[in-house]
Amino acid sequence: MALNSDYTPDTSGMEHRHKLEGLLDAAIERLERARHFAKASHQTAALDITRRLGAQPGGVEAIYARIGRLDTAGIFHGGDWEHPKSLQPGLAANTLWQGDKITATLEYLNELRFLAVANGDLIRDDLTDEQARHFLSQVLALNLNILFEGSSEAERAQESVLGTSVRTLYEFLAERIGLEGILDELIAEIWRILAQRPIQVDSVKAMISQIAACIYSETAELSGKSIGNAGMGADRLISALFGPTQGCREDPGLDAYYERLSTMDANALAQEASGFARAMHDTGLVSPYHPVFLRFIAQDNMDLMPHALGLSSTGQDALNCYRDLVKNLVLEAIYPETSQAAYGLALLLERGILFMPPIAPGFWHFISIPLAPSVEELVSSVYGTARPAQVFLLAGLLNVIGQPFGVGQGNNPTCQAARALSMWAQDEPAYLMQTVVWAARDDEVVVHFEGQAISSQNVQALPPHLPPRDVDPVSLIVVPHLDRIYCEMGRLCADRPGDPHQWINREFHGWWVGRGCRLAVDVPTGKLFDYEGFVRDFVAIYHPTYNRNRPLIHPQPAGIAVTDVRGRFVGWHAITITRVTLDLEHVMRVYFFNPNNDSGQNWGHDTVVSTQGNGEQYGEASLPLEQFASRLYLFHFDPQDQWTPQAVSSELVDEITRRARESWAEHR
Amino acid sequence: MTTELASNQENPKDPNKGYIAIIGWSLKAIDAIDRFDRRYIVVAPDWAEPYAKEHGIPFLKWNFDRLNERSYELAQTLQEMGVDVAIPLFEEVVEWAGAINAVLLDNPRLLNQSMLFRDKSLMKRRAQLGGIRVGIFEEARERSDVIHFLKRVNQALMKLDGDPNDPIHLKAFDMAGCLGHRVVHTPDDVENIPDDEFPCLMESHLDGFEFACEAFIWNRKIQFLNISEYVTLGYSVFVPASPEMEKWRPQVEDEINKLIETFNIDFGFIHPEYFVTSDGKMHFGEVAYRPPGFNVFELMERTYGFNAYHGLVLMFDPKSTAEEVEAFFPREVVDATGYAGCFGVYPRRRVVSELQIPEETENHEYFEFHELSAPAEAKVPKRTAFGTHWGLAYFFGDNAERMRELLNRQEELDYYV
Repeated sequence: MALNSDYTPDTSGMEHRHKLEGLLDAAIERLERARHFAKASHQTAALDITRRLGAQPGGVEAIYARIGRLDTAGIFHGGDWEHPKSLQPGLAANTLWQGDKITATLEYLNELRFLAVANGDLIRDDLTDEQARHFLSQVLALNLNILFEGSSEAERAQESVLGTSVRTLYEFLAERIGLEGILDELIAEIWRILAQRPIQVDSVKAMISQIAACIYSETAELSGKSIGNAGMGADRLISALFGPTQGCREDPGLDAYYERLSTMDANALAQEASGFARAMHDTGLVSPYHPVFLRFIAQDNMDLMPHALGLSSTGQDALNCYRDLVKNLVLEAIYPETSQAAYGLALLLERGILFMPPIAPGFWHFISIPLAPSVEELVSSVYGTARPAQVFLLAGLLNVIGQPFGVGQGNNPTCQAARALSMWAQDEPAYLMQTVVWAARDDEVVVHFEGQAISSQNVQALPPHLPPRDVDPVSLIVVPHLDRIYCEMGRLCADRPGDPHQWINREFHGWWVGRGCRLAVDVPTGKLFDYEGFVRDFVAIYHPTYNRNRPLIHPQPAGIAVTDVRGRFVGWHAITITRVTLDLEHVMRVYFFNPNNDSGQNWGHDTVVSTQGNGEQYGEASLPLEQFASRLYLFHFDPQDQWTPQAVSSELVDEITRRARESWAEHR
Repeated sequence: MTTELASNQENPKDPNKGYIAIIGWSLKAIDAIDRFDRRYIVVAPDWAEPYAKEHGIPFLKWNFDRLNERSYELAQTLQEMGVDVAIPLFEEVVEWAGAINAVLLDNPRLLNQSMLFRDKSLMKRRAQLGGIRVGIFEEARERSDVIHFLKRVNQALMKLDGDPNDPIHLKAFDMAGCLGHRVVHTPDDVENIPDDEFPCLMESHLDGFEFACEAFIWNRKIQFLNISEYVTLGYSVFVPASPEMEKWRPQVEDEINKLIETFNIDFGFIHPEYFVTSDGKMHFGEVAYRPPGFNVFELMERTYGFNAYHGLVLMFDPKSTAEEVEAFFPREVVDATGYAGCFGVYPRRRVVSELQIPEETENHEYFEFHELSAPAEAKVPKRTAFGTHWGLAYFFGDNAERMRELLNRQEELDYYV
């Protein structure tokens, strides 16, 4: 791809670029010289010059040549960009489009920094070339239209304060990262994420839209730009969103589709129903056409509903018993704007939990509760005003209860609260519903801690971060309350020795959390403490071979020492152990829920968390028991149970200990 | 009260040189001084403490509300720490530095000297006593004094009824530079002066041009003298001054030597302002004993390549040597690599939504960069006095005349639209 093919060299332009390069070098020098506390006062100037240089022909190359110096000089010092690993591709792309000149230019530089790391031109401790490439693939995927659509995108380029520099940047990135691989990688990536069936799929949908736009763009063909072998599953993703059935294959628009439905005979409607169901269960994505169809048949064709939701006999039974409720849920909650709720509803019916006495009346109640004005405002500010806040909330509730393992914490340090929501959705959905009612109607949640009531509206300890916004509607309104209550419980335990979670977890999550709590480390020193005893207890209690084949009955909270790809300690993290059992290959695996949005993580030393293909349910993660145990640092148990730690084989204990010592416990 | 010594490996401090107390909080100054070889400690109000602690900046907490008996306590604390001298960064702390230095250097006269620098009225009288030419001035306690002075000045100029008045200038006694400086043309203007600007100093207006200079003084001698050329007061300045202005250098040096004598300045740094009237006479405006505003230090560094904060420290430190001072400063004017100018941007419209550097500015070969930020509020507060620009744009080039035109032109352009 030719860079700036319309550019013909003219010397005055070159001179201007050389002058700006000189200015940038001087600005970098000032930044390098500045002490870390004074970096900020020199950043603005450097960014201003960068922005101007980026607009010059050859500017992006000149900036790229200096990206390492800019990075070490401290251009990212003191802001969100300081920790590249925590950056989100979706946000990054947005910043470039919608940020002001300063933040957009920072993001511009940031993407060049990722490119330098991906190409091996820049080495950073906290970012591998693989991660950088991964990040850029996603950023490019979100901006494919820029690269493949010609003049029509000129308008969009004008929207960024950086003007055409953005386009030049993306061309530069694409040229060096290679687009061919990107689409394939991206599609594989989307399938991998979808295999975990997350509730939040907005960014996945945005990426698929981009892929569709570029595959079907005529200008892409005309300009001869290769998009690689994008066949790999792209069709299925695109059709699942834009044309899953015969009736909407050519993406006719929602209104046209609705009109079409009234002219279809019974046979055609049945085909539509199964087409929608197939696409939905294949991908976990729900096309906006699907709600149009569901609302249509809910009026007077409820018999098609089981087919349209793709239900098995269990789901059909539930639907038949609660026909009125299901009809109402469809009409109250499932709109094109909340299409994913159809999938939540289908899975909820499949779980058979409507047969639990409090659930159906709970939903009837929820349909009619008034929302607190503050809650209404919050939901509308995040999800828009196309539908009332109630609709988004009810839709969100269907998803959370239908997909307990689809809950994600977003980009927020709220794993405790996200874990609790997921655990309740799985084990105590009625309690979850009641909690959502409190949060939605009263904007207050009260939880008891050792007999003392803690109101989320009246706590002394406040979380040190902002409430999340990039999460599902239920998390959006409930997590802030849970987060405060969790912090307050921490405050109440502050003067107790040891890890506060031994008291908090049970009170915070539920009665089924074992009263016993085992820790691998001594809290004041952070050093390992009786690690062999810890490992033996865990195996003896959780491993079916040693615990007389007792399955895990209720999900149990546990603490993980998360490590990076090189096995280095990253931080403590809250997860839920859901099952311990043999997989199809007869390997003993621990299955767990990780509230992180993407559980498929590489924890180093061949400890790669699996999310599919090893017997996981949607959203579950798993590891062979010895690998899991080697990252575990806290678990709960029932002290009343009998177990025999001395029976655990020394080989297994050694194996786990070795793996722990090689990674997070290296210096402990 | 916390103290903590920096042990920066990159820039080791020389224990044989002085130990400096910086009075006031300025990140730019601290950053520069941290890179110099003197040990230092920053004395500033408590709001700066968390930042200083977080970044390992040697820090002493002090509240500078009022000079009182506790100033001696501060001086003693610093003395016990081994501090040799205090350097004021802002107008408001000049007398604090004077009080401290009176103790540290065992020279009570330094406190009185700093009082002169702090009170514009006292300063003028002292200058007058020293035979320095000053304009007509008076003190105003209330609005009626201002009207009276305006009338008297214009009477003296033999203006007839209906002739436009010659304006008068009002300056707060103890504020830096353009802060609290306003121009009064008519008695109506007087109504707009807020109560808290009284008492103040009133001066007659002189037709001509105004400029400021920066004099580094050591051993009662000027070590380096920069003349800053104001293109428009409060808007733009460049250094070194144009060749026409530099013709005044010998007279300027004479005038500054008079200041050294009159105000008894052994060492330090002064920033006086002068007015040259159409008859070619220099009038003394005021003098400050602290670094100038408008980032003149940055401009000096841009063109001469030396760090003026380091020069400042050198002038104050009693342990500086003659060789060191000699080697530090470049030669005035001849060693300048070009003209470095800056323009203080004020929004020209009442309502603004974004920062947009004018295209002709951005493409001008002299334009370097700006330090402006996006507007926080759409509505622009009405500008009543000089000062309070929204940030600076920097220029550099080799022709003083073009620089002057360029800076003048900026006043007609919208940076905020």
